[in-house]
Amino acid sequence: MVALREGWPVLLSVAVIGIPFGVLARQAGLDILQTSAMSVLLFAGAAQFAAIELLRAGANPVVVAVTALLINLRHLPMGASLRPHFGPRPLLQRLGLAYLLTDEAFAMGIGWYRRGGSGVAYYVVFGAALWASWNLATLVGAVVGGAIPDPRVLALDFAISATFTAIVALGARGRRDLAIALVAAIIAGVLRGAGLAPIAVVAAGAIAALAGLLVRPAK
Amino acid sequence: MSVWLAIVGAGLITYLTRTLPLAVEWRWGGSALFRRYLEDLPIAIIAALAGAGVLAPDQRLALGPEVIGAAVVAAVARWRRNLLLAILTGIAVVALLRLLL
Repeated sequence: MVALREGWPVLLSVAVIGIPFGVLARQAGLDILQTSAMSVLLFAGAAQFAAIELLRAGANPVVVAVTALLINLRHLPMGASLRPHFGPRPLLQRLGLAYLLTDEAFAMGIGWYRRGGSGVAYYVVFGAALWASWNLATLVGAVVGGAIPDPRVLALDFAISATFTAIVALGARGRRDLAIALVAAIIAGVLRGAGLAPIAVVAAGAIAALAGLLVRPAK
Repeated sequence: MSVWLAIVGAGLITYLTRTLPLAVEWRWGGSALFRRYLEDLPIAIIAALAGAGVLAPDQRLALGPEVIGAAVVAAVARWRRNLLLAILTGIAVVALLRLLL
């Protein structure tokens, strides 16, 4: 259960974000069933917050779906990176592993493999716990509403960024990796700051890895 | 009705972005350059996730407590090689800075 021991700050933080999601979804006019259905079907925080903002503004379903597509394009390179670590598996298992793919599960999984781990248990245990945490918190927010715990107290909102940072610092193998990481982080921050949040991560990752091709790898 | 359409449509598209690389059989071109690109991609993406949250926590570029917190996280992670310790130290630093600033 290494995944839970290392991942609990993220699981807690996701729960704390899930509650306000449930509350905001209800305020945007969704009922409890719709709110929970969104957390089960999308299971993607950023896209869900964007979706309820759009629905509140009266956007049509096509706009909501296209926005979700843009925000979630980053899953493509994530899945491609994880796949070799998963090894050959029957289609049904791969469909299940794909359902659990989130930023957090991807980062925790890659962090695990970079430290020499193997198999899918770490990824699955963390992914399933994250799913339970997100969906339970959504339901609590949708049913209870109102009393939103402020994640900024105790800096719990920072837990997820802190986890990503720690995984990069632990997984980077030398200066070249660190340089790629720094370039990616800065581009992503600038893009998000410029109002391009939906594509910030996928664009920054793609560009930084491309820049890495210009640098000769250490022999 | 249109809310359900939005939920189901966005859900299906999101699942598609997850399954395409994992469940579909790919025949990668497999040039050495492309393989190197794929090797660098994971660290770049995790760093991008971190950078977006650290440098623009409220969707605006800002050098706030999160930047110092991230530096502390990276330093502790490199020094102690302990994921959980690095995360908890960083959270404590950011909580403290917010209290003071």
